[in-house]
Amino acid sequence: MGTFTLEADRLTKRYGTRRAVDTLSFTTAPGDVLGLLGPNGAGKTTTIRLLTTILEPTSGDFSVAGVPASKPTEIRRRIGVLPERTGYPPHQTGEGFLRYHARLYGQSKHAANDTAERLLAEVGLTERGGTLIGTYSRGMRQRLGIARALVNDPAVVFLDEPALGLDPAGQVQVGALIRQIARRGTTVVVSTHTLHDVEELCTSVLILDRGKILVAGTPADVTRDAGVTRLSEAFLAMTGTDPR
Amino acid sequence: MSTRVVAAQEGRDLWIAGRALLLVFAFSVLLSAITYFTAIDQTLNFLEQKEAVDFTLQIAVGVGVLVTLVVSADGISGERERGTLEALLLTPVARRSIMLGKLVAALSVWLAAFLVTIPYIWVLGNGVSLVTKALVLGLAVGTLVATGLALFGLLVSARCASNKASLAISFFVLLALFAPTQLPGGLPRGWFFDVLQRVNPVASGLQYTHLILVTGHSWTRDLSYLISPVVLILVAGALALGASTRLVRLFPGVNSV
Repeated sequence: MGTFTLEADRLTKRYGTRRAVDTLSFTTAPGDVLGLLGPNGAGKTTTIRLLTTILEPTSGDFSVAGVPASKPTEIRRRIGVLPERTGYPPHQTGEGFLRYHARLYGQSKHAANDTAERLLAEVGLTERGGTLIGTYSRGMRQRLGIARALVNDPAVVFLDEPALGLDPAGQVQVGALIRQIARRGTTVVVSTHTLHDVEELCTSVLILDRGKILVAGTPADVTRDAGVTRLSEAFLAMTGTDPR
Repeated sequence: MSTRVVAAQEGRDLWIAGRALLLVFAFSVLLSAITYFTAIDQTLNFLEQKEAVDFTLQIAVGVGVLVTLVVSADGISGERERGTLEALLLTPVARRSIMLGKLVAALSVWLAAFLVTIPYIWVLGNGVSLVTKALVLGLAVGTLVATGLALFGLLVSARCASNKASLAISFFVLLALFAPTQLPGGLPRGWFFDVLQRVNPVASGLQYTHLILVTGHSWTRDLSYLISPVVLILVAGALALGASTRLVRLFPGVNSV
């Protein structure tokens, strides 16, 4: 395993006889924004859960930020994650929530306060930092979740459906945040169904179906190789979900 | 340090969100009613004063432990269902620290229940110099039983896919353990009953307090009754902390794959 921020080698996860992720191999470099695309059940969330050490692979190997899969605690120190459909404690304030998570990464009380304040400003929640999360809109919660994923200044950030259920304004805000994270040289892995965002944000894409990589490359390459003009057309044609 | 951070946050969640306050309030209402009726029985000479203290202490320990068990049984399965467990698992905090933090928070509820018990025991035991003995016994035996059952609750919570199942199993187990302590005293009890009582950590712990408070035995004479609460702590603790990496995890279908 070399200097890649992410390196997956024949990564496989089986549930009984079903292969949720099937011999996945890919790499990313610092500052890359990798889009994971695929229909529901394609294996996007399982891939993220494998790479973030929540699940153990059935076979294959991977490393994150140069740390091998055999050291899951060390990997968790170097990653930030916004899980799909994550829950938030409604009685906690946004600031308290970020402070708590910063403390879980070993930060002192003082440093955790600074981190919470800085991240609330970054995601545009400074004014609501002192109010209960239970009063937040879905978009605000997603932004808080992204802020939480950044408390440890991670080398790789995983965002699982960050725009899920957001209105257009919320989607634009999340897109701007992803660009901001990537500009620092952080690798971003984003699983999404919003293909327009992928074309705009991602430096590379993996299109998955039934756990396997159908195609990998830059959005422009994938579109060109499919002989179409838009990524959405390429996606629909490759996954066989084109309704026409 | 991470255990302390988790315990502090779990404690805030329990006490500020109101669940623990509500449970301790309900506990104090129940204890008030029990103390009132016990005091009446005592006044009418149906119950000796030391029996009144023992009875109230048994109820206080039994219900205090139940409240602790309810809190611990919600510890992991509840977070799983609310979707907040994954974020915790994604941090570098060891699974063992998560378990320990939750255990400490659950035991804070037992300690609060015990503090609530103090004035009731003081009222009932005043005059027979039984108060200090009863309180020290209650704290020692109650903490032993509460720790063992809180660990058991965490184990059940970690293994159950649904929070309802975790709470129901824990509640019925405690009920089954507590029920024998409330059997009428006049029933014939042979060696089999004695064995059952000794393997039951709740019944044996409460029998120990009964023998000291009511029968007047010394503290060291019946220590063998504390074997089962200690064994429960050791076994449940070894399982909960030793296998924490496999226990504290997401389940397929519960905010998971």
